Amino acid sequence: MSELLTLVPPAFVILLAAFAAVVLPRLPGHVLGAASTLYVLAIAVFAPAGDYWTVQFLGFDGVVFFQIDPLAQLVALAAGILATAAVVYAYSSDAPRVMTAFALSYVAATAGVVFAGDWLSLIFWWELMAVTSTLLVWHHGGDAVRAGYRYAIAHGIGGSLFLFAVTWHLAAGGGLSMAGGIGAGTVTPLAALGIEATAPAVLAALGIGINCGFIGLHTWLPDTYPRPHIAASVFLSVFTTKTGTYVLFQSFPEGSMLLAYMGGAMAVYGAGFALLQHDMRALLSYHIMAQVGYIVAGIGLVASAGEAGAVGGMMHAFNNILFKALLFMAVGVVIYRTNVEDLYELGGLWREMPITAGAFGLGALSITAVPPFNGFVSKGMLLDAADPASHYVHGGNEVVYWLLMLGAIGTLLSFIKLGYYTFLHGEYDGMVSDARPGQSAAMLAVGGACLFFGLPWFWADAAGFAAGGIGVDVHTFHPYSTSHLLDAAMLTGVSLVAFAVVKKPLSNVGHVPDVEIVVEPLVFYAGKWSAYAVTEVYGAIDRIAVGFVRTCYWIGTNPVPATQRATGWLPASVRPRLAEEELAASGGDPSRLYLRAGIGTTILAIAAVVTAFLVVAL
Amino acid sequence: MAEVTVVESWRPLAAVLVSGLAVAFIVASHRHQNVRESWSVAAAVGKFLIVASMLPGVLGGMEYRWALGMVPGLSDEFVFGIDLALRADALGMLFATLASFLWIFTALYSTGYMRGLNEPNQTRFFAAFAASLSTAIGIAFAENLVVIFLFYELLSIVTYPLVAHDETDEARAAGRKYLAYTFFGGGFLVLGGTVLTYWLTSLATPAGVSGVAAGESTATVTFGEMAEPLRVVFENGLAPPELLVLAFAMLVLGFGTKAAIMPLHSWLPDAMVAPTPVSGLLHAVAVVKSGAFGVSRVVLYVFEPELTAELGMHIALASLAAFSFLAASFIALRKDNLKRRLAYSTASQLSYIIMGVALLVPTGVTGGLLHIPAHAFMKLTLFFCAGAIHVETHTDDISDMAGIGKRMPLTMSAFAIASAGMAGIPLVSGFVSKFYMLIGALRMGDPAYAIGEPTAAGFIFSAALILSGVLNIVYFWPVVYTAFFESEDRHDAKPLVEFPRGGEQEAYGVIDDVHADGGGPLPDGGDEGPADEYVDSHEDADGAASDADSHDDVHHHGPPPDGWERRSPRDESTWLILVPIAAIVTGAVVLGVIPGNVAFLDLAIQVAEAVTGQGVTL
Repeated sequence: MSELLTLVPPAFVILLAAFAAVVLPRLPGHVLGAASTLYVLAIAVFAPAGDYWTVQFLGFDGVVFFQIDPLAQLVALAAGILATAAVVYAYSSDAPRVMTAFALSYVAATAGVVFAGDWLSLIFWWELMAVTSTLLVWHHGGDAVRAGYRYAIAHGIGGSLFLFAVTWHLAAGGGLSMAGGIGAGTVTPLAALGIEATAPAVLAALGIGINCGFIGLHTWLPDTYPRPHIAASVFLSVFTTKTGTYVLFQSFPEGSMLLAYMGGAMAVYGAGFALLQHDMRALLSYHIMAQVGYIVAGIGLVASAGEAGAVGGMMHAFNNILFKALLFMAVGVVIYRTNVEDLYELGGLWREMPITAGAFGLGALSITAVPPFNGFVSKGMLLDAADPASHYVHGGNEVVYWLLMLGAIGTLLSFIKLGYYTFLHGEYDGMVSDARPGQSAAMLAVGGACLFFGLPWFWADAAGFAAGGIGVDVHTFHPYSTSHLLDAAMLTGVSLVAFAVVKKPLSNVGHVPDVEIVVEPLVFYAGKWSAYAVTEVYGAIDRIAVGFVRTCYWIGTNPVPATQRATGWLPASVRPRLAEEELAASGGDPSRLYLRAGIGTTILAIAAVVTAFLVVAL
Repeated sequence: MAEVTVVESWRPLAAVLVSGLAVAFIVASHRHQNVRESWSVAAAVGKFLIVASMLPGVLGGMEYRWALGMVPGLSDEFVFGIDLALRADALGMLFATLASFLWIFTALYSTGYMRGLNEPNQTRFFAAFAASLSTAIGIAFAENLVVIFLFYELLSIVTYPLVAHDETDEARAAGRKYLAYTFFGGGFLVLGGTVLTYWLTSLATPAGVSGVAAGESTATVTFGEMAEPLRVVFENGLAPPELLVLAFAMLVLGFGTKAAIMPLHSWLPDAMVAPTPVSGLLHAVAVVKSGAFGVSRVVLYVFEPELTAELGMHIALASLAAFSFLAASFIALRKDNLKRRLAYSTASQLSYIIMGVALLVPTGVTGGLLHIPAHAFMKLTLFFCAGAIHVETHTDDISDMAGIGKRMPLTMSAFAIASAGMAGIPLVSGFVSKFYMLIGALRMGDPAYAIGEPTAAGFIFSAALILSGVLNIVYFWPVVYTAFFESEDRHDAKPLVEFPRGGEQEAYGVIDDVHADGGGPLPDGGDEGPADEYVDSHEDADGAASDADSHDDVHHHGPPPDGWERRSPRDESTWLILVPIAAIVTGAVVLGVIPGNVAFLDLAIQVAEAVTGQGVTL
């Protein structure tokens, strides 16, 4: 029975459902969509790991188009749960049919990436993921369109860099198999900086880094995610970035301290900027960056702390898929009901929307790593890997550890801020209904999962997937150790006090510019002035060419004045007289030769000449 | 060269003549429209069948040859011991199969297009069209430089009436420019190069040339036979190497003129005044590809990879091509007229082909040659779409197309798919050829053609390809998103680079569409809820002032006064236009997913392996 699950790649099934969602009425379309994402879940849970599918693809034999391994199953498990809930949420949030179809095709591309068995099929789905997510953003119209265009350019660059990395890897003889990561090739472009990474590795890090929101490459993230439909944001918040981390790990199974530092910096940077945001979805978007920072740090730490870092990172990706989407759902319901995006304009909503407030609470407790929620478990694993003094995992790094701790405080602060101003602070004047039944069901299901995978009895089972796939004994980890519980209590306490202090000044902070004030003009004006420079140069060349031809024509049709002008500088005794005489004779009119014929006649004449030539030649 | 069996056959000649014969029938039945167009379609089908009948043989290593001597009482000789002969080899078949296959659909489409617009002089149009196809197949099957030169010039002549079809001053000027560039400029360079090559081969000593007995002349212009004597001349210093370079440059630039290689491209955008089927089949496929095909012949069958590399011409040619495709992309950014933007895209993509071939490594050559059909399918789709928009709405400028996806859903969907392919996004044929070319570029100059560091040149060429892919996204996506996701009353002014960063809001001042305020292009599912309300209400229609005057005349351009009407894919245009669009875009996708199952990839690999003597491998 379970072998049947390996017959058809999930991407195809979901794509089919996406087409159906366009054609069918809304309800059956969404039901079919949710069913198709359940198929991903079924593969994650029941399909035998190790099965794969090879095809001839793009003319190359033996491309592993679909491969089931434990790590892919881990990511697919979270993605499947979430995608199903998100389809229900979309239905209940009045998502148009076409939008859900775009969302499903985006899920399909993600499933393709997750189950891709080699570089070629990976890059194939990777680029499709960028396209389908762009459509999902665009579909909302209005402001989302131009933001979606910037998103498309960012991901076009990211996809191209990754394609560059993959083709370089292949050209250098690295082979299609992803085992061992990317990086065949002997060129080390950053050797002067002391970085011994090969060119494909550097390119892949940059390309995937755009998807993961590395600092400086992240401008698309807070720019895009606050703008589309609320249900679209739920899909977007999950798949692009988390798939990015999964592919990052496949590309860098050995980790890299540079990645670890980048991850730590992202955690602080993302949480810091999140704290400054007014727009609720912008705040959550910066938190994507922060949480992905944790995952990236875990992957990077493999270099010093061994595979444990990766298990923590992948588990955090798994948990992050659930709680980040849950937060977007809850905030989406608030926006859906109140039409307000700015958290300072809200308040006291917990009375009006208890279910939504409860769901938000589940998500916030998970992301801020409060026990017994799933975020606590995976953050504990990550901190174990990073902590140089950890009893369980050796080889951590002081800098990364403290960056991650600092990021944790920033996360706590900003979620206290978001929850406080939205749900607690003051009274909400006016009537607001709570979430619709479908929205509630989706939120509570995902919230339940956040709790379930955090409980001491279950975390080891879930982590077993990651640990099994990566080859680490799951009992290396002790997330519920006393020190972790104390850490959590201490961090929460510090944050509560800190929030009381910074609350006032924080609310006076307006919009704080991020690197986009440099990146966007740079991209735009580089494109604009290149286009102007090239067109002006060619315009000049064309004018010269046309001018030359025109002069030739003019000389041809005005032979007499041409001769006159050409010989005007000669002394009168040498200058030909003829021209002047003729000019006088014709009453001052320059002589002209009219040589015009209809198109048909011209062709006839030329054809006749060519035929004559052929006859003579033969 | 691999061993091939040459079979005497009349089929190459029949393939050339069948549409020539059709010209007579078309002219004769000028009074009966349906009969006249039937001749076009019949000739197209006949031509394709004749060409296709040779396909299995050629794929099996055979070549079909026709020579004048097969006519009783005549000898093969044409002039100076040069045969008048046609030979269907793998490269020729690649081009001939493509041109004849696409003509079938273009014939149908032209019928719909010309009738839809009530164009005058339709008989002349169809006759000249048929004649152009004859000469294009002649170019494909030409056995030597003299025969290809004859057909090359004939093609320029018979396409002139098509370019100047409108008989306006602009069209005549474009026609003159066309002839000046391709007939006189390009043609004379090819002729000069042919004569020079003939003379250079005559300098060789028979000793080093296979198949030439002592005392016989080594002079030849037959493809595949020139490289040996040229090598003898080069290695023994029998002529200054500068002369060899000159011959190469004259031939390549001569053919390159038709391939719109920069800075010889300026005729192509001007030739867009021609009716769209002409721009489509001739200025995206037959004529321009005959230029790219000619360059391939020169590089692969006149000088052949070894000598080209020894002369250092591969770097020069690939640099010129890389420069061309980047510059053309930048120019395209500024074009508002859709056909002109497509023309610059064509100029850009043709240089891909030239670069791929100039890489001289098996994967690069495969990619370059595969790009001939890959680009043809995509670009023909794009032109057909531009034409369909013109026929149905008289709209030519991108800035007038906001919201046109409602009016022409199928057309614009096909446009979106084809433009994704242009950017090298998977699922469409452009990805496959770009993938091969990237690997080829990164392997360039490697004596083993396989493993190791890329050369500096190879790195630059591959980086240029990557950058060009991003530029394609940048200039094609606005067309897609304005059609589907922007509304008549709220869109960015186009072209984007001409306006401030972040876009300038604009409106046509047409009646507000119900869903224009941020909903999707399709009506929301009817489920109640405030989903639409939380979106900002759209800006008012101030920006209309500049455009207002042009909207009085509905038949001029842009949407009608009450916005685009919503039509279903079934009745957005006539079937004569829609069926070809659907068929060709399907072809582009088929070529992008299973290129190994359509003959083109096999033919390209066959050519690449034969001329390089190396296998095409990853």
